[in-house]
Amino acid sequence: MIGPLLRPTARMLPRAALTAGVALGLLVAALPRLLPDTESQLFGLALLRATALAFALGLAFLLDDPARPTTETVPTGQPVRTWLRAALALPAAALGWCAALLLVPQAARPPLGDVTAEAAALTATALALAAAAARRTSETQPGRIAVQALPVLVVVGLLLPERWGLFVAPGSPEWDAAHHRWAAVLLVALVVWTASVREPIRRRTLRNGFGMGTLRP
Amino acid sequence: MSTTTMPPAPEVTRPPADGDRPWAAVLALARFEARELLLNIPVLVLLVLYLGYTAYGLVAAEQDGMTDYPVLQNADRASQTAPQLVALAVLLCVNHAVLRSRRHGTDRHFGVLPLQPWRRTLAHALSAVPLAGLVAVVVGAEFAWAASKPGAVGHGSLFELVVAPLSVLLAGVVGVLLARLIGSAFAAPLFVVGLYVLLAVFSIATSGSDPHWLRWLSPVVPESGGDPLPSGLLGRPAAWHALYLVGLTVALLCGAVTASGRRTRTVAVVTAAALAATAAGIAGQSPGDSRDLAAARETASASPETVESCTVRGSVTYCAFPEWSGRTADWAAVVERVQHLAGDRRDRLTVRQRVEARYGLTSDAALTALSGPGQVTVGTAWGGNRIPEFAVGVASVLVAGDEQAASAVCDARAVTITWLALAAQADPMSAFVHVRLDDRTEGSGLVLAPTDPLGMSAGETAMVRALLAKPREVVSAAVRAHWAELTSPKTSLARVAQLLDVKAPEKEDSRDACEA
Repeated sequence: MIGPLLRPTARMLPRAALTAGVALGLLVAALPRLLPDTESQLFGLALLRATALAFALGLAFLLDDPARPTTETVPTGQPVRTWLRAALALPAAALGWCAALLLVPQAARPPLGDVTAEAAALTATALALAAAAARRTSETQPGRIAVQALPVLVVVGLLLPERWGLFVAPGSPEWDAAHHRWAAVLLVALVVWTASVREPIRRRTLRNGFGMGTLRP
Repeated sequence: MSTTTMPPAPEVTRPPADGDRPWAAVLALARFEARELLLNIPVLVLLVLYLGYTAYGLVAAEQDGMTDYPVLQNADRASQTAPQLVALAVLLCVNHAVLRSRRHGTDRHFGVLPLQPWRRTLAHALSAVPLAGLVAVVVGAEFAWAASKPGAVGHGSLFELVVAPLSVLLAGVVGVLLARLIGSAFAAPLFVVGLYVLLAVFSIATSGSDPHWLRWLSPVVPESGGDPLPSGLLGRPAAWHALYLVGLTVALLCGAVTASGRRTRTVAVVTAAALAATAAGIAGQSPGDSRDLAAARETASASPETVESCTVRGSVTYCAFPEWSGRTADWAAVVERVQHLAGDRRDRLTVRQRVEARYGLTSDAALTALSGPGQVTVGTAWGGNRIPEFAVGVASVLVAGDEQAASAVCDARAVTITWLALAAQADPMSAFVHVRLDDRTEGSGLVLAPTDPLGMSAGETAMVRALLAKPREVVSAAVRAHWAELTSPKTSLARVAQLLDVKAPEKEDSRDACEA
């Protein structure tokens, strides 16, 4: 069943958004090669985080599918198609991430494993937001909701006090603890994603409770 | 036969008349979109964050003590950074709102409505105005709160205060323009990431040494970190920057109107005027610090006595920059308490306010010790930890004679100095913790002062702790009785302990703290 679905699914991927995200991410990661005197770890980390965010924002559009209402009721339903999309796009994104890591000069590279964990957590959060939006609403383009929520979450993450911080500087005593927190974010995002990929039988919409209509993300 | 007569069809189209108010629809749409904007989750979340952060700053940070003595030329630009949260949300959500019709496939219906697309664009841009107004109110309230403090000094600038609301408007216009140019939801978030990277590139890669013109292209230039400067020495082109923001906002708005199909002479003229204003703003804000400013900063840093006015209270002369003359009474209270503890000494002292302005607003340069006898340095910041630090400065000059001699104190006089400074505080033990560089009241360490810090050994620290536990009057009487011996560099720590009636340390410990 998966084989015949592969080609149409690949053709349906929202290429513009994915390409824009990856292109911006790679451009950002290439900056130290283009500018003089920028080989500090702090700078490399800031750029790789921006790259990760750009990738995540691009991948947030992964579930955009104008044909969603028509495939909700077919035997090979949404979950299979969603997993298939993820399986098609994520290896390409991983390749892009490796390229971004290689683009940052050796001297400016922060601990690569930890930064990759951050990127994975950001991407998983974006995908989980998109999947949750797709499950909660009848939206055919859940990506637009995810890309609005993700920057807000990132800003909240940036404003967290040092003790619970996520975006810590390289060499900070909180570095290891922060990456445990990133692992927790990744885990939560994966759980939300897995739970949301299942299509609901009936949707509940988010109401703001003031009788003023639906709260829009 | 019957004839059917048709009544004449009601006229549904007519040429525009004088009584029409095309702007009423724009305003109605702007009102509607503004209300929609407030219901967006990013706007709600970031607005609550901004308001919460501001309220926290106003209420909870009061305990710090520093907020009781605001310097208004710093307070005005301190409120510029946090509203960028609102600006971010406005950019994302206005963009989203403009794209709504495209998303829902209602674009083509607008073709039959009397409201032209460019007016719709304008209405979307106007929908950010209520949020900008809210930010203006909050910024104004913050500044008014600071200005209403009895300890406030200095002058605020209206041009610094308008930066925050203008940046919110600019963000809204950028959101509209992006939506008109790139009709997809990924444009705005990726633009934000790109902008962040640009700002990070220029702030991290150049670590603050980026050219002046480049730094001022950013909508908000907070420039904080150093001690407050007199308002004449700020050198911030705030008025030009406000003009730049206004020009840029209008120019981008004209771009969005043009992109939605309005290409008339009026739009061209307004665009040209806005671009001219932007260019004038950039030209005005680009030159770095002028020669006059550098000379004025040099004068204020190297020879402050030429620009300061002095008042005499008792035996002490207080010299302050003109904007700080109201703070003399606060300094006098500290000086008089320390003098009283030292046995009501009437030494001739000069409290001189000093500031290091030569390195700009962002560098926290240390002040060098004064060599004139009886001269005490006081900085431009006051409140919180600055009060015990100043008391240390006063006590060390009383004991050692002048600041340079005080910075070389490496003997038992440190006990007398520290006790005089701390016993003059309302809560000596907590002041002791804060005035020590390492925030401890054990072991050797440095005690902060307005100029050079004072070194203390572990034994001296223990003695000061013991002295602070004793009644103030008893120690004060002993200090008065043995003043000559206590202020002599030759007196040993054991002798000081004997004179002040506390336990001497078992062994004369190493003086690594002050030799470092």
